[in-house]
Amino acid sequence: MKLRNNSGPAKWILILLVSIFLAVFLILPLVYILMTALGRGLGVYRAAVTDPYAVKALLLTLRATLWAVAVNTLFGIAAAWCLTKYAFRGKKIISTLIDLPVTVSPIIAGLIYVLTFGRQSFLYPILDSRGIQIIFAVPGIILATIFVTFPFISRELIPVLTAQGTDEEEAAALMGAGTWTIFRRVTFPHIKWALLYGIVLCTARAMGEFGAVSVLSGHLRGKTNTLPLYIELLYQGYDFTGAFAASSLLVIMAVIVLILRIFLEHRGKKELDLHK
Amino acid sequence: MNEKNGYVELRNINKSYGDFQASRDINISISRGKLAALLGPSGSGKTTILRMIAGLEHPDSGQILIDGKVVNDVPGSERGIGFVFQSYALFRYMTVFENIAFGLRVKKVPEERIRDKVDELLRLIGCEGLEKRYPSQLSGGQRQRVAFARALAPDPQILLLDEPFAAIDAKVRLELRTWLREMISRIGITSIFVTHDQDEAIEVADEIIVTNRGRVEQAGTPTELYARPATPFVARFIGNSVPVANYGSFRFFEDAGEDSLGIVRPEFISIFKKGESVQFAKSAEEGTVEDIIFRGSSLEIRVRIHGNVLSALRSFNDPEIRVGEKVDVFLHRMFIIRGDEVYPALNQSLRTESVFL
Repeated sequence: MKLRNNSGPAKWILILLVSIFLAVFLILPLVYILMTALGRGLGVYRAAVTDPYAVKALLLTLRATLWAVAVNTLFGIAAAWCLTKYAFRGKKIISTLIDLPVTVSPIIAGLIYVLTFGRQSFLYPILDSRGIQIIFAVPGIILATIFVTFPFISRELIPVLTAQGTDEEEAAALMGAGTWTIFRRVTFPHIKWALLYGIVLCTARAMGEFGAVSVLSGHLRGKTNTLPLYIELLYQGYDFTGAFAASSLLVIMAVIVLILRIFLEHRGKKELDLHK
Repeated sequence: MNEKNGYVELRNINKSYGDFQASRDINISISRGKLAALLGPSGSGKTTILRMIAGLEHPDSGQILIDGKVVNDVPGSERGIGFVFQSYALFRYMTVFENIAFGLRVKKVPEERIRDKVDELLRLIGCEGLEKRYPSQLSGGQRQRVAFARALAPDPQILLLDEPFAAIDAKVRLELRTWLREMISRIGITSIFVTHDQDEAIEVADEIIVTNRGRVEQAGTPTELYARPATPFVARFIGNSVPVANYGSFRFFEDAGEDSLGIVRPEFISIFKKGESVQFAKSAEEGTVEDIIFRGSSLEIRVRIHGNVLSALRSFNDPEIRVGEKVDVFLHRMFIIRGDEVYPALNQSLRTESVFL
């Protein structure tokens, strides 16, 4: 309490430091992106943004993101549920493995899939004979996106479910409620906000994924180029306006996600306070 | 149903969690309509027993019977059980009404009957008008009542309560004890509750099952446990028992040999000011008052005698005693533990005096 009321120089120095830091590393680059994107007039910007390849890249990014969020939501709920509601051997190992994608460099994630599904893999003939193409194709991009966003949702849910314990579920089960009823009426209200929050984080991460996707995509313009890859392509072709215009799309999406995040945090906290 | 057999019975139950054996050869029988307490220190296996009856845990071996039928393979939800959890486990995201109604909704009871039943239960627990509140908006006592109502809503045959008073502050606890005891006897439901508090067990239960280290030490009425402890553990656990190693040095008590121990409770001791008692003048021994503790309705006198500090109670109406004062201490009786045996020992002067008079 004493620390908080302290209005001495330390407080102002720290505030100043954080502000400078944010300005230099965050706000300045963002402003610069928008300025460069709009630098040659609105017409050029619009042309860059509505370029068919840009639109295709945006749509592919959204598609990969939707898949990643859908798969990881299901997986995240299942993983969080089994890790918090049951006791079994190997629980620690599973819990650690879930975190692996965050600690492994995305590029390695990409290479793992190239090795698993590429020409040298024993799986390749099987997949190839059925006409399934994974690497250098959309399924590969989706796989890579799922991989890098793997732990985002389960990690949001696990602390909430741990704090809640298993009593309420047991009480419901003893009254004869089935698994689905228990989930819908008892567990879900608890995790609702954490789940949405996890989805938002997962979306943000999925949209921006570059490394793993880069390895698996094959960079086919209009086919397997996601927005971040498309931006790189433009940038390497010295089309700075186009690159920054496309970047501004990602920035806008990021801002939307940020606003959603603030809203969810606020709502979630309010509801949590009511039902503590 | 045969009255000899219990309504709820456990036969030769064993249960382990890894290396920890939570239940060892448990045999319990509880008659219909009785209110039984599982009493023991923490880690003694009492909650495990309760959870096995509820079907929340499964015994490694042995049988659980309800109303004469083996229910080992019957899921908990079909055993006709209402369960009140230690922390109540009320559904935080449901109102009081929905909490109580939950069990009925699961059973697809028509809406109108649900409404009637919940209203009736709300009246029973004295929480009318609270149905729209959430559990977080209730006091501890109200939460406990709602948990009780929720458990009773589906009309169970057996009510199980896990440490029902542990989360409530002392004053409300006493009130709720009486309330729960009345409720249960009014409804006439067979009930089993877990507690580590012997006062609670003694006051509330018809029958107490004392557990220790996964075993049942003794089952009986509170009076039986008090008067005739069957094992050394019960003798030491029940009452404010103080172990006295050198009990043979007290006059009129005989040492039963090595490895034996005397157990003395406050109610076994009378303390008198010098010259206060004529009756025990010859047979009392001298002790020194170490401490006097105010106990509300009485005074606890801690007195040093033969190297032991024993407690005794004294009324406010008795002549005042001060710390440091030499007093007459008379020990009426004690329990003597030898090996696995426990037996009562009477002050022998009482016997001789009665012969005299």
